[in-house]
Amino acid sequence: MIRKMPWWLGGILMAGLLLFAFSHIGASRPIGASTYVPYFAGILFNLDPQEYPYLQEVNNAGAWEGVMLLGALFGGFITSVFITKTFKFTVMPAGWKKYKNDSVLSRLFWSFLGGFLLIVGARLAGGCTSGHFLSGMSQGAISSMIFGGVVLITVLVTGKLFYKSGAENDR
Amino acid sequence: MIDRILSMFTTVGHEPHGSILVILFIGFVFGFILQYTRVAEFDKIAGFAMMKDTIVPKMLFFAIGLTSIGLYFMVKMGYAEYHIKPILLGGLVIGGIIFGIGMAIFGKCPGTGPVSIADGRMDVLVGAIGGVLGGLIFTVYYDKFKLIMGKSLGKDSLTTIFTGHESLAIFIFGIGLIVISIIIPLRELDEE
Repeated sequence: MIRKMPWWLGGILMAGLLLFAFSHIGASRPIGASTYVPYFAGILFNLDPQEYPYLQEVNNAGAWEGVMLLGALFGGFITSVFITKTFKFTVMPAGWKKYKNDSVLSRLFWSFLGGFLLIVGARLAGGCTSGHFLSGMSQGAISSMIFGGVVLITVLVTGKLFYKSGAENDR
Repeated sequence: MIDRILSMFTTVGHEPHGSILVILFIGFVFGFILQYTRVAEFDKIAGFAMMKDTIVPKMLFFAIGLTSIGLYFMVKMGYAEYHIKPILLGGLVIGGIIFGIGMAIFGKCPGTGPVSIADGRMDVLVGAIGGVLGGLIFTVYYDKFKLIMGKSLGKDSLTTIFTGHESLAIFIFGIGLIVISIIIPLRELDEE
């Protein structure tokens, strides 16, 4: 079996999945993937929704995404084991080693900070790559286009400043 | 905690947004696509930040272009509705900057993160703990964060701005994105 799906086929399938989720026979709602995090934090730290209004606001969307991501974990795992055959416990991405450093501690520290920033940023903006980019821009939403533009520029600037150019590595 | 996890399923079961099985199926396919195309990998997302890999923007823009046109027809025929997010300028700009920095150094986003963990990437699990901490702080200090987010400037979209020319606006937007996705040069940062 081919162990990698080409980008255009992935794009077609993703479009089909988004349309299914939007449709009345699907879920009548967009796909999102960052609201479940504060929802999950509320469960984990046993926060009382009566005390934290944000938990009431995200209760339904958080639960929906929580169930969807259970499916995503399962789908990703099955695909990883049987199709891409990439499942392996690792802590160091190849690209990090090549373009940043070979310290596991450094990777874990920056992962932790990166994950933290990712969720704070997504919650401030009200969406992430799924909710704003994929689902939001597909609806022609101005809010999502503003978010998308800011994120694209920031990702490229951060990438330029944070990683080595790689010229010295390629020798 | 167990009872609250169970209540997650009852909450979803009582909602009109698809049965639990349909939602699990949507998630399953979502995970399958992200894993099979490898866009959940650090090398793909951080590789894009370094402009050494273009699979992520190509697939993203292609999917958005196709969906925007398909969804427009579905809404017109009454098979779906738009769910537009409000324009909270402070939240979108400041949140977008914080999100972008996190995405470039983490090499993940909130949807691809869990898929990577299911691929055995333990550094991503550590990042997920950071994410939960971020979610906790946001929840606890929501009133402060709300001040940054600002007031809603409405829920405008292409169809409300170009009233009377909705079809044309959506077609130009959708086809434009598809063309962009095709002309972005194909580059791959391959580990194999």
